[in-house]
Amino acid sequence: MELRGEAICGSEERSDALVRVRPARSLTVRISSKTGPMYEDRIREVIAEALRELGVSGAEVEVREQGAYDHVIRARLLCALQRAGGGREPFLRPRPIACARGGSPRVRLRRSRLYVPGNNARVLAFVDTFAPDCVVLDLEDSVPPGEKDAARFLVREVLTAMDFGDTEVWVRINPLPRGGLEDLEVVLLGRPHGVCLPKVESPAEVAELAGLLYELEGRYGIPWMVWIMPVIESPKGVLAAPEIAAASERVTCLAFGAEDYAAETGCERSWEALLWARSRIVAAAAAAGIQASDTVFPDIEDEEGLIEETRRAKALGFDGKGAIHPLQIEPIHRALAPAPEELEWARGVVAAAGEAERKGLGAVAYRGKMVDRPVLLRAKRILEMARALGMEVGDAA
Amino acid sequence: MPRNAVGREIPGEVGGRPVRPFQGAFATVPEGRKAAPPLKTLRPGEGKVLPSLEEAIRRVGLSDGMTISFHHAFRDGDLLVLRVVETCARLGIKDLRLFPTALFPCHEPLIRYIEEGVVTRIEGSMNGPVGAFVSRGGKLREPAVLRSHGGRWRAIECGEVHIDVAFIAAPTADPYGNANGMWGPSACGPISFAVADSWYADHVVVVTDNLVPYPALPIEIEQGYVDHVVTVDRVGDPGGIATGTLRITRSPTQLRIAKLAADAVIAAGLVREGMGFQAGAGGISLAATDFIAKEMARRGVRAAFAIGGVTMYLADMLKEGLVGAILDGQAFDARAVEFLREHPRHQIITPGFYADYNSRGCATYMLDFAFLGGTEVDLDFNVNVNTHSDGQLLHGIGGHQDVAAGAKVTVITIPTIRGRIPTIRESVTTVTTPGEVVDLIVTERGIAVNPRRPDLAEDLRRAGLPVRSLEEMRAEAERLVGVAKKPVFGDEIVALIQWRDGTVIDVVRKVVGWE
Repeated sequence: MELRGEAICGSEERSDALVRVRPARSLTVRISSKTGPMYEDRIREVIAEALRELGVSGAEVEVREQGAYDHVIRARLLCALQRAGGGREPFLRPRPIACARGGSPRVRLRRSRLYVPGNNARVLAFVDTFAPDCVVLDLEDSVPPGEKDAARFLVREVLTAMDFGDTEVWVRINPLPRGGLEDLEVVLLGRPHGVCLPKVESPAEVAELAGLLYELEGRYGIPWMVWIMPVIESPKGVLAAPEIAAASERVTCLAFGAEDYAAETGCERSWEALLWARSRIVAAAAAAGIQASDTVFPDIEDEEGLIEETRRAKALGFDGKGAIHPLQIEPIHRALAPAPEELEWARGVVAAAGEAERKGLGAVAYRGKMVDRPVLLRAKRILEMARALGMEVGDAA
Repeated sequence: MPRNAVGREIPGEVGGRPVRPFQGAFATVPEGRKAAPPLKTLRPGEGKVLPSLEEAIRRVGLSDGMTISFHHAFRDGDLLVLRVVETCARLGIKDLRLFPTALFPCHEPLIRYIEEGVVTRIEGSMNGPVGAFVSRGGKLREPAVLRSHGGRWRAIECGEVHIDVAFIAAPTADPYGNANGMWGPSACGPISFAVADSWYADHVVVVTDNLVPYPALPIEIEQGYVDHVVTVDRVGDPGGIATGTLRITRSPTQLRIAKLAADAVIAAGLVREGMGFQAGAGGISLAATDFIAKEMARRGVRAAFAIGGVTMYLADMLKEGLVGAILDGQAFDARAVEFLREHPRHQIITPGFYADYNSRGCATYMLDFAFLGGTEVDLDFNVNVNTHSDGQLLHGIGGHQDVAAGAKVTVITIPTIRGRIPTIRESVTTVTTPGEVVDLIVTERGIAVNPRRPDLAEDLRRAGLPVRSLEEMRAEAERLVGVAKKPVFGDEIVALIQWRDGTVIDVVRKVVGWE
């Protein structure tokens, strides 16, 4: 690969690296490391390996890093090389990922979806430790237009290098016509479990994404189906929610984004004003047999407000809620956990239904109220959630 | 070379002085009597005010080889150390032993005086450039000696360190030598670090920029111990007290650590009516204290007392009635100084009251829990506060040892990775505080419980907190960042790290290269 000009990528923020590349006859690498000699040899190896992979034999590479991990340095270098005229194809070769990430089941706990800015090396340095149910590495709103390419590489390398344990890993791409396509091509190599598609307004957008995912899964040898989470955040999107939810078998969850919806509708960001949109999204998801995840709660300081809004969302039927700070995860999980009285009720309902079935009775009542199929389903759902949370459920159901 | 109780090789003597190896947190039984200063008198009508520092230095007969002492209540805003050393240099005095409670980055110009032989020995904490300079080795005549706050008090009290002249920066003083740090244009909070210096030094010089009529109240430094009072234009910069760490952290990782630390203390049942705690000043400690404060408010329980470094956050807890009293050894921000001046449930304490091993009980022994930091921890729960993984000596001990030894539950809060460098080591670069007095190590990846505390492990597990082994967390971090190259240490010892009882828990050796 020949470089055509000088290029630079990254920053001198903590945990990041600033990489500059220039065309040259031979290879020279200069490193200035925050940790002195502690990692210099290793950084040299990382650079040499990337240059070898791309067949770069003439370049001047300068790295100034602030405690960046190997994969961050690699991401910054790759992006700088691409910016220096490296083209597209050479950067799309599959590499094995470091951890044993497998596919994720269609139905699982998705109580929290934590958005993390995709070009922020400092926050990404600890992203494997936040432990939400779903982490969403963001390429959209949190990344300025000029850094989309840098974020793509960084997110891909984070996905490749980091072990997220039980957390389901998602990437929020840009809308398909505005960079989403390029996003997919790069980040799918990191094998995320799913893709969040923002500002969805029609089932066609979901269908288009599903087609692209199908194609890339084949090309990159991803042995599982990559899920789609459409984010509904406009009046049009809310109106089309039922069709969006049913647009592809890949859609496992509908997410609500209140900020844009409120802005476009001209409504307040109050519970009452958003109630109809929320209700419609929950109904659309339920009708399609998928999950629904509520919008983020924007005030990091207000834990009580977060818990209150999460409880209300749960009451409406939401399965999860968005988070913009790791400290919001635990309160969300707490608010979504079945309350003791709920659990007791569910246990009673299931036991009564079992009893009735054994006795061959058609109709059954619990605490004086009729238990029909939907009531039984609701009770079973509560018990499932409780069991998934490791709560004591007893031998009911 | 014999090994001490934490497995470190300790020489039998250093600079002709015998070295006692560390044998356990409470192994030493003190013997003998306290040191005593010379008897002196003053007649009625005789004054103490002198026109200049130079005059005071002449009067007390400060000469080559003597020991001069200072307090660090101005932290990075100290002006007196350099001023005295400069004056000594000008007067041709050399070979001084510097005995400050702590040095800060502002003292970087001292390096010149070390190179010129004006200062040849340092016993005291070194935060920043002077420490880095000392760890490069070869410049001080003897290894530096680092002590905890309590350890320094003990060393003076038992005569291990004899102070020839104590220079005490006083934001307010009267002509008879009574002095305090609570008032005046340079008010910095308590100057009680200097109390032992005033009691035991041969000569005591109070230096002030705010000379007030007799008597200056409150009296922290007493007239009966003071030989001379010198006025200067400016005694210190209180703006240097808060050195940037005194905000509740915004970092998600640090907040997560703080939350886990607070949850652990809550799970252990320690947040209850009448408790006592130490409020740290680091970003994580402050955040953890804030989480505890919220829990206290929620449950309606009050702490009997808290020990400072005092910040505005702690002052607010006192104001809101969450804390019954503050025992204050040091102020960490100017607003705290202001608020604490007239608050009746605020008591200035000395390091002796706070932390002295050779005392019949110190305040840290009354602590239910404390949040402390560190640069490294190891699989034996030892904590390093002094050096970085590259071997550089960059921090003092502060009250770390004293608090860890005293608190019922000592919680070390530390991220597993700091600027790519993993902090959980197989063995710390330097042992400052031994694992036997450390109960919990809290990182963003979970909480490690010292195997000596199965009771705590049980409490934490029952509360659903992520109890994990240090080995596991270390492996996770190293998988991400890789194994760092280690420095190679030579034989030359650049500093002794004393345990609070005067034994040596570790030595710092000069870095000679990299593996």
